[in-house]
Order: sequence, then C-alpha cells, then structure tokens
Amino acid sequence: MSVAELKERHVTATETVNALRERLTQRRQLLLDTDVSTYARNHGKTAISFSPTDLVCCRTLQGHTGKVYSLDWTQERNRIVSASQDGRFIVWNALTSQKTHATKLPCAYVMTCAFSRSGQSVACGGLDSACSIFNLNSQVDRDGNIPPSRVLTGHKGYVSCCQFVPDQEFHLITSSGDQTCGLWDVTTGQRISVFGGEFPSGHTSDVLSVSVNTSNSNMFVSGSCDATARVWDTRIASRPVRTYYGHTGDVNTVKFFPDGQRFGTGSDDGTCRLFDMKTGHQLQIYSQQYGENDDIPCVKSIAFSISGRLLFAGYSNGDCYVWDTLLAEVVLNLGSLQNSHEGTISCLGLSSDGSALCTGSYDKKLKVSYHFLSSKT
Amino acid sequence: MDRLLQATLAATGGSDAIDYAFAVEYIGPPVTYEIPQAIPIEIERIPVASVVSPAYLSDHMALPVAQPLPSPTILKQPAVTSPTSVIQNHIAAGGELSGEVGSSGVVAFSNELKLSEDFVNERNSTESDLSYDFGLQSSVFEEEEYDEDRDGEFGDQVRQAGASFEGSVETSGAASFGVVSSYQGRNEEYVRMVKKGACFRCLKGNRFTEKEACVVCDAKYCSGCVLRAMGSMPEGRKCVSCIGSSVEESKRERLGKASRILKRLLSSLEVEQVMKAEKYCDANQLRPEDVRVNGKALTHEEIFVLQSCPCPPSRLKPGYYWYDKVSGFWGKIGYKPERIISANLNVGGSIMRNASNGNTGILINGREITKVELQMLKWAGVQCAGSPHFWVNSDGTYQEEGQKNIKGQIWGRARTKLVCSVLSLPFPPKAAKTFGEEVNIMLNRAVLDYIEQRTTQKLLLTGYYGSGSSTLFKQAKFLYKSTPFTEDELQSIKLLIQTNIYRYLGILLEGREQFEEEYLAERRKHQSYLSSSLDEPDSLTPYSISPRLEAFGDWILTAIASGNLEAIFPAAAREYAPLVEELWHTSAIQVTYKRRTELQSLPDVACYFLDRVVEISRVDYEPSKLEILYAEGMSSLNGLACTEFFYPQSDFGESDISDQDTQLRYQLMRLHTEGLGDKLKWVDMFADVQLVVFCIAGSDYADVCETPDGKFANKMMEGAKLFESLVSHPTFHGMDFLLVLNKFDLLDKMVESSQLANCEWFNDFDPVVSRHSGKNSRGANNCATMGQMAFHYIALKFKRLFFSLTRRKLYVALANSLDSDSAGAAFRYAREILKWKEEMPSPDEDTLNTTDMYSTDLGSYSG
Repeated sequence: MSVAELKERHVTATETVNALRERLTQRRQLLLDTDVSTYARNHGKTAISFSPTDLVCCRTLQGHTGKVYSLDWTQERNRIVSASQDGRFIVWNALTSQKTHATKLPCAYVMTCAFSRSGQSVACGGLDSACSIFNLNSQVDRDGNIPPSRVLTGHKGYVSCCQFVPDQEFHLITSSGDQTCGLWDVTTGQRISVFGGEFPSGHTSDVLSVSVNTSNSNMFVSGSCDATARVWDTRIASRPVRTYYGHTGDVNTVKFFPDGQRFGTGSDDGTCRLFDMKTGHQLQIYSQQYGENDDIPCVKSIAFSISGRLLFAGYSNGDCYVWDTLLAEVVLNLGSLQNSHEGTISCLGLSSDGSALCTGSYDKKLKVSYHFLSSKT
Repeated sequence: MDRLLQATLAATGGSDAIDYAFAVEYIGPPVTYEIPQAIPIEIERIPVASVVSPAYLSDHMALPVAQPLPSPTILKQPAVTSPTSVIQNHIAAGGELSGEVGSSGVVAFSNELKLSEDFVNERNSTESDLSYDFGLQSSVFEEEEYDEDRDGEFGDQVRQAGASFEGSVETSGAASFGVVSSYQGRNEEYVRMVKKGACFRCLKGNRFTEKEACVVCDAKYCSGCVLRAMGSMPEGRKCVSCIGSSVEESKRERLGKASRILKRLLSSLEVEQVMKAEKYCDANQLRPEDVRVNGKALTHEEIFVLQSCPCPPSRLKPGYYWYDKVSGFWGKIGYKPERIISANLNVGGSIMRNASNGNTGILINGREITKVELQMLKWAGVQCAGSPHFWVNSDGTYQEEGQKNIKGQIWGRARTKLVCSVLSLPFPPKAAKTFGEEVNIMLNRAVLDYIEQRTTQKLLLTGYYGSGSSTLFKQAKFLYKSTPFTEDELQSIKLLIQTNIYRYLGILLEGREQFEEEYLAERRKHQSYLSSSLDEPDSLTPYSISPRLEAFGDWILTAIASGNLEAIFPAAAREYAPLVEELWHTSAIQVTYKRRTELQSLPDVACYFLDRVVEISRVDYEPSKLEILYAEGMSSLNGLACTEFFYPQSDFGESDISDQDTQLRYQLMRLHTEGLGDKLKWVDMFADVQLVVFCIAGSDYADVCETPDGKFANKMMEGAKLFESLVSHPTFHGMDFLLVLNKFDLLDKMVESSQLANCEWFNDFDPVVSRHSGKNSRGANNCATMGQMAFHYIALKFKRLFFSLTRRKLYVALANSLDSDSAGAAFRYAREILKWKEEMPSPDEDTLNTTDMYSTDLGSYSG
C-alpha cells in the first residue's frame, strides 16, 4: 500500500467520522425536547430563595503572599489545604482560622493541591511537571519545611489538577498539560495508567481538571482545552468511556454531581453546563446574558452542594454565583456582597458535610462561609 | 428526556418538603472541640464593609479619632467612632437614649451621627467580622446594664486612641532618637477611662485575667476574644486592623515567643506557625529607613548585609549609629563604641570625626575617640602622646597615619580585654569566625527569605523547541553560581549523557538501515538497466556491518522502541562501551554520519559524545563543563528550572554603578515550552516577572518542524508564532521582552549556503553585497559579513512585529549559547534593560523613543 493511498484513505475516513458526528449531534438535537429548567418550571418548581445572610463569611484566611490557586478540604471537615503563587502550601484549621502547616514547595509555580482521604498527606503539582506528595506527620527540615515524601514524575507537561481516589488511600489521579491524565500509586511512585496521549481518542489539548466519581471511584471525568469533557474508566486506559461536546471554550473545571450520574463543567466561554453521564446529553446551560462588547468572565471553579440543588461557580471577574441547578437561575452572587474577594475566584470547595464553602482568590485570601439556617438543610 | 429529567429531579430533592439540602444535620457523637455558634441575627445589624488596603489603614492611624467631650450630656457622641457605633446609633435612634440626649438637642446629635457614620464605615472596614461580634456583645450589655454599656464604648474607643498614645510614649523611650514615632500623641483624658485590665473587646475581666496583647497597638484581649480580634494572624499577634503596620519597638523582643494563652487556645502546630509568621513576616522586620548609620538611612540591601554578617550588631533598633568600616567598631551617635561587628561591610555613609562625640584629639580611623577609649589604649600600651591619628584594622593591628609599619596589636595583651570589660568597652567577639558564621546563617536564613523576595528580579527565559534556551540557562549557572550543579544533578546529568549516547547510536543505526535499503534499491534498478546477473551478492554495501554488530544494533533499536532505554543503559553502559566504540568507528556508521543532514533528529553534538564513549561510560566519569553544555534534554526532564544568582562584581565595567546594585538578586526561570500546551494557560503565573527573555535559534530559518496538527512548517515561523502569542498575551501587557538570537555561529555558516529567503517571512532579504567582498581584506574590514546582515535583518523583522503588537521597543541580543562570553553578554544586557526600566521616567517617553530607535536601526541595517 503506498503512502498516497494511505493518505487518501485517511482523508475519507476522517470525512466519514465527521459526517457521522454531525448526524449524531443533529439526532441529539432532535431528541433534546427540553432542558432541566423548562421541565422544572412546567412542574411548578420555583427557585429557592437564598438571601445573603444564608451564607455568612465567618473566616478570612490570610497568610498567603501570592495568588491562591487551589484549595481542598479534608474528609473530617475542618481542615483546608491551599496552594499559592508564593510557592507555599498552607494547611488551615477552618474553625480557628489558624495555620497548622506551611511549607515551601520545591517548585514555586504550583497549580493544584489535594488532601488524601485520611488527611495525612497532601499532593501538590504545578509547572515542574511533577506531583509532590507531602506527609504532614513527617519531620520538618532545618528551614521548617516538610520535605516531599514522594515525587511523581512522568508527565511531560505541567500538572494542572490532582485528586486522590476517595476509597483508595494511595491512588491519585492527575491531569496534565501533556494532554493526558494519569493514575498513580503514591506508595510506590509508579504511574499505573496513562489516559490519552498516544491513543487517538484522548484529549487533543491540555487537560485542565479532573473529578473522581464519589459513588463509583472507577470513573472520573476530565476537562480540557479542546473544549470537551471526557469520562474515563480507570480500568480501561485506552479510550474514554464517552466524550462530551458542547462548550465553545476551554473547559477549566469539572465536578461530579453528588449522585455520580451527572457532572458539571465550567468553561472559558462563561458558561457552566450539566451533562448526563449515561446518555451523553447536555442537561442544562448555566449562563448569564452578556452584551456584545462585554468581556465574558471565565468560569474558574465550580462546586455542588450536598444535594446538588445549588451550584457554586467562581468567575474570573471576582463574581461567585450560586445557581439553582433546577431552574438555572442565579439565587445569590457572593461577589456582590460587601466583604467579598477583590480578584478572580480561582478555586472553591465545599466541606465534606456541606456546611461550609471555602473560596480562594487572586487577592491572596481565602474565605470560609458557613451556612447557618438549619431550617433549610 | 423526560424520564431522565425525572431522575435528575429525584436526585436533586424529590420531595418538596426538603426542597434542597445544603448541609445535613450532624448526628454523630458529641464533638470535643468548640463549635462556632450561630446566633440569629438581623441583617441590618451587621455592619458589612469592604476590606481596605493596609496602606490606607496606616494613614488612618494618624487620624484623630475622638474629640474631647465638652459636656456629659452628649457623652454618647464620641462613642460614635467606636467599632460598635453603627449598632449603637441604631439603638440610640430607636429611642433607648432619647431621654438622656434630649436636652443637648436631638437635631444636632443626629447630624453628627450621620457624619461620623461614614467615618466609621471607613474606619472599621477591615473589622467586619470583629464588629459583627461586637454588635452582638454590646446589645447584650445594653439589656443587662446601661452603665456598663457606656463604659464599654469608651473602653473601646480608648483602645484605639489610648493604645496609640501608649505606643508613642514607649517608642520614644526605646527608639533612641524617636525616628520611629509616627504616632500622634492622644488626649490623655481617655487613658484614664479604660477600665484597668479589662479586655479591649468584651470589656470584661480585670488585670489578673490572662490576656494577649497586639504587638502593634498593645490592645489586650482575653482568651475568648483573641481569636476573633486577631483573625488568622497572618503576621502574628496583631488585631485585624493592625495587619500590615510595623510592630512597636518595645515589643520586638517578644516577637516569636508564644504566650501561655495562645498555647492553650491553639494546637502546638498552629502556635508554631503563628510565631513563625510573627518573627519572619515582612511587616514585622526592622524598617531599614529607621536605622541610620553614619548619617545615612539604610536600604533594604544594606540592612540585609548588616543582619547577615558574621558578627551583627545585637538587638538592632531604630536609631542613629556610627560604624567604623575599617575596624568594625559600632556605636550610637555621640557615644563610645558599643560593640565590634564585622568590618568592611558596605553599609551607610562614611564616618564623621565627631561620631562618638570625643574630645581627646586622638583619631581612630577618622573618628575622635572618647576619654574611656583613651584610657583603654593607654592600658593596652599604645603610645598616645601628641594626639596621634591611628588606623586600626579589624584584627586589632594599628598604625599611625601616614606610616607604613604596623605598630602593634591592641588585643595582643590579655589584660586589654579585662580593661575593656571594666570600662564597658567592646572587644572582638570570642567565637571563632567559622563557627559564628555557621550559626548566623542558620538564624538568618528565614529572615533573609522574606527580604530576598522583595529584592529578587525575575527573568523568564523561554523559547521555541531547540532554540538553545536551556543551554543559555546552563551558561547562567556556570557564569554566576559557585557550584553550578549539585552532586545529585551531576549524577543525573551523567546518566543522561550515557543514555543519550545510545539514543544517538539508535538514530544512526536507523539511518544506516534506511540508507542501505535505498542503496540496494538503487543498485537493483541500476542492475536491471544493465541486465546483469542477479546472483551477485548484494549484501555488501558501504552501509553494511558485521553480523555481530548488527545484532547489537538491533538490540539497541528494540530497547529504544520499547521505551525502556533509561532503565537498561545507564547500568549497562560500561559493559557495552567498547562495542559502541567499535560500532561508531565502522565505516558504515561513519558514512551514515556523513549524511547526517538527512537525519533530522540527530544533533550536531552526537559526534562529540560518540568519540568519547569509552571514557563517558566509565563509572567514575564526571561530565565536563562543555559536555554539560552539550548534553541535551536536561531541563526538559522537568518543565521549569529556576536558578538564583547575583551578578558578580567583576561584571561591572564602569565604576559608577552603585554598590548596592550588586546585592540585587536575579532569578532566572527557564520554561520549557514543549508540553506547556499552545493555549498558554500557565502564563498568568508569571505576571510578576520583570523581563521575558525569548530565545530563537538563528539557524531555524532553514529548518522545518512538525506542528501539532501534523503539518510541516518552518521552524522560524513557528518560533515567531509563539513569540507573538506570548507578546500579545494580556498577562504580559507592558512587559519588556529581550529577544536572544541564538546560534549565531550556525547562522553565520548557513547563510552562505542556504538563502535566508528560504523562509517565506524573510523573502525580501536583499542585502547590499559589495562585489569585492569575500576574502578581500578591505571588504572584510568595512562591510558586515553576510551573517551579521542576516542577524540585523531578522532582528528588524522581530522588532517590527513587536512594535506592531505593542507599540514599544523590543530589545535584541545576539548570542551563541555555547560560548560563555556571548551568553554572559546577553545576560548583562538583560540586567541593563532592567536598570533602564527602573530609571525610565514614564511609558509615554518610551514610545517616543521607540520610533527614533527604529529609524536608527533601519539606518544601521541599510548602511
């Protein structure tokens, strides 16, 4: 078979694939008779009322001297780890707002941090293309820093996001700028599998975010600069279970819905979307109306409340909307409150019991808001 | 779809009774720790205000917050300025107070109220959390007892006023000449009103209750209020409103020493962190402008030098000092020497004759000494008749002014030290220097960490793949670091070089196979033309090798193909080294190597390494400087490499460069653009760099590379594309760029053989070439070489591109990164740019200059 012949075949095959994909989207469009908000309205649902006092900012965590890039809560609900541009990660006690650990990282350009399930170790990754694991109980060195207990190397691009697998203490999933995701064994430092990369069905651009399904920890979803989100099975590294199209910009953040059957995405196109895992349908778009000349703020980070009724989304312009997931309405903008952040909301997260929301921002601060009204829980 | 949505609905809260759940009720065992209590509150009672910047706050500190009270009837009025006042006013307006205020005129009162309310909002803006709690507190008081409420307001107000007042008293005492005292004295009236020993926040307790004081304003809080008043303590024990202000001098001693109350409230880990922050954070450091040495205020760098020297002045406080650079004597202005610190520190101005207010007429290093010192000198056996002028060195040797010979050693006799201690004069520290250094470095490291952050100039070094930016980075390490690479790094470099050899060999072997096939095909074609017999053995070609070597080659190729090259070869390197050498020297490989231009992936340095394979494969092999520079793929192991360095003194050609400049630290970050994606998602992390150094290889114009979408493009064009996207990235708006046109030697060579116009961007390159150029001596002297012209042309192209994007000027340097001189020149140029930038008056002028520069550049090019 000559090269020319091969090329010809490749071209026709690509055309066929594109045609089929087109048909698929058309068919999907046909089937998509409604979305969540229309359906909910037709069934007489109304948006929940959510006043500024329902979510009170109680603690401001100050101590970072650079932009806060990432945060994570422990399972036991009162500790937060945050990573910042000043090259440190800090572990906070959310109740007393005090720091318990502050460690300088080997590479100052950190993008992500995560707590292990037990809360004993912290994983940090960034532009050094490696993910460093720190054991919080280990002895500090002369400068008072915790030396990394393990460095996971193997990614060929920056590590954009990492998350520990909920029911396996030593498994970590990372996403990277080399278009792949990785599953690691933290104890041995070995990469168990690589998702994407050489396989043509993987992401075609930087992977920016991962989220592991809480109800089935074999599944995780990844969001990428190629404007898609892909769901993967950790047992099958060769290809994603499904690819979700819809966004028109880089998918900055993905998060599983609490029931594990759906997931939400946030993107540079200024929208959040809710996708259904099984059918591959896009259930709902959460977006504001912007004028033509407005700068559309990017969605930087999202989180769902415990029940999934609320979607918290942090934007690059410092807004932090609370969306009613059923009716696709903004019920509160935390950014408009008087003591809100002054910069881009880069990360946000809910404590494991759902009682508190922590937001981290480029203004170097983290804020913890508690939800007080027990009547509405 | 409907069914699907029903599922969603079910998931999100099927029953209407529990419409949504944000949090679930806690049904576990009782908790041991304190749970933050939620008290039902009314929205209008929460004074919410935005956070103000620390700079604003410090301004605010000087504002007189309270006015003297003319009459007891409007006693309420000044209280308006207290953090609680928003609530208090509210209550007052509600009628609670009306009776009392009545006589003084309600109208006037409410007017005042409005005015001060604005004031309050500003004032307490950082205290939203705090004042919110306060609101609750005071409303409780109000219900209990009115009197106490009133008292409380005063207390609180006085907390602000009185504390600052106290501060000023204490600082003027401690700081010898009151350089620090920026606080304004306050009306003493209020100090009296503080209930002695009460907590400043809850106003309860007495002097025996344990309290924690703010290190700035000395406000004291009881254990219940400390955490609320001080928040997350990013700078140690400071009220939320004091964050960012410098500490009170009398409390400097206390910094970093935890109190019992904190230890009780917080876990040991937390206390440790707070103390660390308190001791080392930037705001709590001594302000250099408050320390004056020989009449000159210090800079950040100078104080850094002073504190990090082997024998630093103990307990440095703000004030005026004199320092004898030659001998190391140190003391307060107008007093006898206090201490002998390290000599020859470049700190402060030059010493005055009357620095220690001496009247003996005897001069030591230009300072008139005091009587006590004269006494000491006499005891030490120094001839002091006729008021001589002495030069005393740091080791104690002295000589008379204008004379060469050393007259003796002051510290030579044991009794001198005894005398010194009797006269309370300093003598040189006993601690051996080496030991002392060790300790001090340890102590100061953390402090330095904070100081360094400010004085570090960050340079981002990046470039397109293969542009030599990593070589430039290595050059920087060699040029400016005493130990360019650590032991571990050298080890990994060694492994890398050893592995690389096999990679090169693999490429050659693949090439050989390919050439052999081609050759055979050629010959077969040839033979069919000639229709000669087919039984002639066709295995003998210039590209064939012996079966033994072929087997070895195949084994290498499979190892490379399977991707475990790194796993096998460093270990096996020694064993196979002779075999590799033999293979390298076979004619087949050499013939292949001659055709290396056809092998895209083979670097030029392969020959260098393959020639030395036996030596390199030895266990005790240590890579030389050149080999490290040549070694490929070193910094690609991790995406980002950082190094910090000072420019050495010798680099300063001219003497007019100020001394402190040498203390500026430069941080060079080399970013590996491969694998960082084409979306540049990471760029906003580098918003704080001062200069972007972008490398481009001059030889790229004749090179092609594969783009992500599988097409082939000119490498120079791809590099320019990356450059363009970096320059136009919003994060780098207004950023200065230095373009390093690398691999000039290659460009110089290649431009003769391969037209610059090969790259479509450069198609209008039309240099004026003298007909007599070439080897003609006259031409060589007067005309630029083709390479130089090409360089100017490329530089101009990039400048135009940059100008069209930013309307500013692009700096361009020429370099050959393998040559340390030219790399050093490029780095010095980078430093110059940073200096210009500092001196640059305004950006507008910059743009004006740009056009000028362009015309001159054009001129130089065409001429």
